[in-house]
Amino acid sequence: MHHLVIDRWSRGSSSLHQRDPRAKLATLLAFLIVLSTTRPAAQWAFAAYAILLIVAVNRARLPILGLAGRAALVLPFSATFALLTWWSGDSLRALALAEKSFLSGMAALLLVATTPLTGWTAALESWRVPRMLILVIQFVYRYLFVIAEQAQRMRWAALCRGSHKAGGFRLAAGLVGVLFARSWQRADGIYHAMLARGFRGRFVPAAPPPFRAADVLFFSACLAGCLAVRILL
Amino acid sequence: MKKRPAFVVTSSMHIPDGFLSTPVWATLDVVSAPAVAWVTRRAQRDTQDHRIPLLGVMGAFVFAAQMVNFPVGPGTSGHLVGGALLTVVLGPAAASLVLTAILVLQALIFQDGGVLALGANIFNMALAGVAAAYLSYRLWGQASRSGAIFAAGALSVMTSASFALGQLLISGVPMTGGVFWASLGLFVISALIEGAITVAAVRSIERLNPAWVSGLQPESSRTVTGVALAALLLVVLGTLIASVAPDGIQRLTAQGVDSTTWLQRTMGGLAGIAMIFALCYLGGKLKSRRRSA
Repeated sequence: MHHLVIDRWSRGSSSLHQRDPRAKLATLLAFLIVLSTTRPAAQWAFAAYAILLIVAVNRARLPILGLAGRAALVLPFSATFALLTWWSGDSLRALALAEKSFLSGMAALLLVATTPLTGWTAALESWRVPRMLILVIQFVYRYLFVIAEQAQRMRWAALCRGSHKAGGFRLAAGLVGVLFARSWQRADGIYHAMLARGFRGRFVPAAPPPFRAADVLFFSACLAGCLAVRILL
Repeated sequence: MKKRPAFVVTSSMHIPDGFLSTPVWATLDVVSAPAVAWVTRRAQRDTQDHRIPLLGVMGAFVFAAQMVNFPVGPGTSGHLVGGALLTVVLGPAAASLVLTAILVLQALIFQDGGVLALGANIFNMALAGVAAAYLSYRLWGQASRSGAIFAAGALSVMTSASFALGQLLISGVPMTGGVFWASLGLFVISALIEGAITVAAVRSIERLNPAWVSGLQPESSRTVTGVALAALLLVVLGTLIASVAPDGIQRLTAQGVDSTTWLQRTMGGLAGIAMIFALCYLGGKLKSRRRSA
């Protein structure tokens, strides 16, 4: 499944994986801001951004096609609006819309494919994002696929009992109701399991690793690269 | 084999990066950050320890419930969006928090919505959408529970989608009149579907255990709620009008300035919206003060 691939990628050991999550998150934001302020006419700049991303993916030893395929998930939405823009006669802008959204998606993926979830959430927490929000993000991610697989099993079970003949609105509502009940019970179970393991109302975060010279260098180099492309092309 | 629906009405308007102009995404990021902090504090205040895993699992539940197709017509199906359902079950602050967490994960891991556009998406869905659901549920909850839940679902989707459309238009994404009305029509359809699905889902949850949905009791101060809801809907309408016909509001706010640069259009639109909201807010305050005096 989708998540397993990104989880596996994020546990790599390349030089990009070893950079501090804070440095990578800051780089992502810088890249996105530079990208978003690039004029549609500067088509060479978009090519240069793409090359920068390809170099980074290469350094991270990740499959470029796999990443590009996942980033292409944004394209249906972008393509709709790009077509509308095309029809209104602004083909350059249409092209830029599709390119910007694709490259942005690619950059965000590169972050999560080189940083485990605990890494980037710790970075967010060190930037004063409320801890409760961080906890909820971690819990949603942890149980996302558990509950989704449960929903899938329930759908198959309903199909086996002939839901495709009798099926309808009320059946789907019943499915959602039961899924809700099971999720609720699971949350109860999780809480009690946490209590049994000594949970006393808050998680004790691991001390963040020191921000090293290599991280500063990485961020500065990326920033310089993006700005150079933005200004020169 | 189950026949796949030929057409799935989906109303998720996750704006990717690259669509919003810099002033629009920057403004909404600046607006959403403190709003999320405030919502988190509120959620923390009325959440006991055991609810933290619950909030996370409910977020995962919404993700999964969105996969369940509800047949709504020949060859057509819709799915739950879930903002109103979460609001009715968890209360508004916790619902906003959970939706924010979902949007962060969708932006970073699922390429559904952009990272810079996160503020906009949080504003549309986790803040404005939940506010619309909460206010309608509180306002009409005593008159008719099912009606109130239906309105909560429909208005939350309508609010989020209209805001998203308005932001895209203000950012200068071109759209002909036909496309604009077609997308509004699609929003109305998906809003009605979301209302119906939310009612059905809440009913079926209540049948299993009524205690699960008692999180939010409709309260008595109906005037304030009504004014707040009216204000919110006026802001939605204002955003759409401002984005389609910016000149009118610009004339109101910046008299005689006859320039149509997008910065001024944006500013004109935002000023108009702020004005409408301030008027409604003041009206609500005055009215409630008179009642309590």
